[in-house]
Amino acid sequence: MRNVYLIFRRDYLGYVRAWGFWLSLAAVPLFMIIGGSFAVFAMKSTPVRYYAVIESGTTYADAIDDQFARGEQETARQARDMVDGMNLPPESRQRIEINADDAASERKFIRVPAPADDIDSLRPYLLGEKLVSGPLGDKPLFAAFIPSADGKTLEYWSDDVNVSTLLNTAAAAMRHLAERNALADAGLPADFLEQVEASAIDVPARRIRSVAEQSSAGSEVTMADRAPTYVAGGLAYFLWLMIFSIIQYLLMGTIEERSNKIFDTLLTSVKLPELLAGKLLAVFAVTSTMMASWGLFALAASAFAATQLPGGADLFTPFLAAIADPGIILPGLISFVLGYLMYGVIFMALGSLCDTIQEAQTLLSPMMILLMLPMFAIFIAFQDPGSPVVDIAAWVPIFTPFLLILRMPNDPPMWEVAAQMVIMAATTLLILWGATKVYRAGAVHGAGIGDLGGVFKRMISRKNG
Amino acid sequence: MSISPLVLRNVTKHFGTFTAVSDLSLDVPEGGIIGFLGPNGAGKSTSLRIALGVMQPDAGTVSLFGAKPGIATLKRVGFLPEERGLYKKMTARTSIEHFARLKGMTARDARARAIELLDTSGLGDDKNTRISKLSKGMAQKVQILSTLAHRPDFLILDEPFSGLDPVNQQILEDLVRAEHARGATILFSTHVMEHAERLCDRIVMMARGRKVFDGTLGDAYGALGHGARINVETGFDLAAALAPKGLAAHRMPDDGHGDAWRISLPKGVGAQDALRAAIEASAPIVGFAPEEARLRDVFVSLVGEADAAALDRSQHPEEVA
Repeated sequence: MRNVYLIFRRDYLGYVRAWGFWLSLAAVPLFMIIGGSFAVFAMKSTPVRYYAVIESGTTYADAIDDQFARGEQETARQARDMVDGMNLPPESRQRIEINADDAASERKFIRVPAPADDIDSLRPYLLGEKLVSGPLGDKPLFAAFIPSADGKTLEYWSDDVNVSTLLNTAAAAMRHLAERNALADAGLPADFLEQVEASAIDVPARRIRSVAEQSSAGSEVTMADRAPTYVAGGLAYFLWLMIFSIIQYLLMGTIEERSNKIFDTLLTSVKLPELLAGKLLAVFAVTSTMMASWGLFALAASAFAATQLPGGADLFTPFLAAIADPGIILPGLISFVLGYLMYGVIFMALGSLCDTIQEAQTLLSPMMILLMLPMFAIFIAFQDPGSPVVDIAAWVPIFTPFLLILRMPNDPPMWEVAAQMVIMAATTLLILWGATKVYRAGAVHGAGIGDLGGVFKRMISRKNG
Repeated sequence: MSISPLVLRNVTKHFGTFTAVSDLSLDVPEGGIIGFLGPNGAGKSTSLRIALGVMQPDAGTVSLFGAKPGIATLKRVGFLPEERGLYKKMTARTSIEHFARLKGMTARDARARAIELLDTSGLGDDKNTRISKLSKGMAQKVQILSTLAHRPDFLILDEPFSGLDPVNQQILEDLVRAEHARGATILFSTHVMEHAERLCDRIVMMARGRKVFDGTLGDAYGALGHGARINVETGFDLAAALAPKGLAAHRMPDDGHGDAWRISLPKGVGAQDALRAAIEASAPIVGFAPEEARLRDVFVSLVGEADAAALDRSQHPEEVA
């Protein structure tokens, strides 16, 4: 164990003392802060623009105003639906709803009276040479709608045709106006379609439970029902992300040692399995440090957000309960460790066959493809954990670490879980055995990628012989 | 009774169809300095890697301090591989410390020893310099110090002088003598015969994977006897001319005076006798000099001119290129 620790220590310190590590560590929170701030800034800084509608009455103008109002109501409704799913206390819900309503009603386009009634006269206002008066002071006219003489088109004139929000809103408003006119012609009320929609039967989700459970927990689908799937999905995705992140560490670390001709010295001081274990642990610790730092940052940010809401901390309760559930977390951790070992030693063994970074780069494409396969499986399993495709794929050892985790919230048969764990463990041992041989061939005998076939041939012939 | 640091018995190693080491047996007695000689590709490094358990032999047995090579016995060994390497981002001190700790030293002892070794070898000012910033010779020195740090009982040095300038070669020779004086057994491979002549009390010669000589320097010189150098006009086969007179002649590297031949003289035969024999054989002589035996001559006499030429190429690769 001492040698494993010494190899681990050297490699770990080697990685964390590199600039790249600190850059990567800072990059994600920095990106989140800058990205988040930029999004808020972009939203806040979008200027309020004036537009005018040239018409004898206010039919088109009212239709556009109504369309804006409907859009705002729809955004507020979506926000309320999302809050409903979080099972927050009423006061928190109320606060979020008020905030959502406020945010939704911050209109960025304000209609002003038209300063002229033909396009030639409007031109200097639209080009910004003259200003129009409005509720926010004098500004250039951003756009003007002018109906054609035959009334078949409503032309949209603007100097900036890349901002399409107003144009799209107007187009939707005109469709709605046409629907309303058609309904009126048919003798139906203007809000006929809304009435139809409102009369549709609601389809609420209910969770079936035993009678005893139902009497205490009810049948309503809450975050507590969804949290185990989210936790399992998060764990599976975390495993995938970790494996994805270690490729370069394991490849480059091994190449460094091979090109530095250091293996002979090491192998007269430590056993090969100790060397591999120390290196794998170091890379595991490096990526864990990185991800734990990001996780802590996200947790701190979430905790801060939660303190801004009365009862916001309740949001975390179902997730904490799912994490503490041994039925999910134990198979999850076992799958996590075995999955890491399985993929980690493959990459390390392949790295030991490379002399240069260029050589390693040629390996990256097949490795990425190998890693994309579990990603597809995770995607399918997340959509439908009970899918037969997932049930079958979970028996394929390279998918098992990810899919077993994802299947756990759905209570798969115990014998399947046990059998898949045994197969996964056996496969990991087999891969460890093979990878150690390949690593030895690369590290000690200087075998290259081209010799891989010969290495496997010798392994099989020796095993048979 | 003391246990031999290293015993190889009938060791053979193949790489595909190529036989790198063939039926090698070797006893390294405690306290000796043994030179492991031969040209590049003779099987020296492979033999040493087998001795250390880095490679497994296809046949034969290896005993290191009376046991199969393993991490426990290897803690008593310091190994300098032919292909040198250190972690480039570590400093001189932490490099030595790291390898010393891997050999079982405590963190405190390893640190103190690293500083002591760096100070005594003139690298004290560079102890906190990264390996990547050191010159090649200095980095090589750090690696040699890493090999010695844990005060091993048995030092195995694979081509330790290769790549060192004459000053550092002398420093290394002094280090080897100091380690020997401390009581360490030393086995080092080299293709430079002069190092072996200066340092070793025993030599083992390898050619094409086979051991061709194993004995003391005295045995080696005695086996060859003394000799004479005769230069003849280019194209004259002196070996054929002297063979009927019972004298063996071997071609030497060109020295610019026709073809140079070395005549191995059996006991009781003098250099003048060889000259007389050449004259009697009507050899077109252009030069003559009596010669003391050198290890290279011993090697030539044992393996022939072709392998000796390989040895010369190993010593002076730039001349071949």
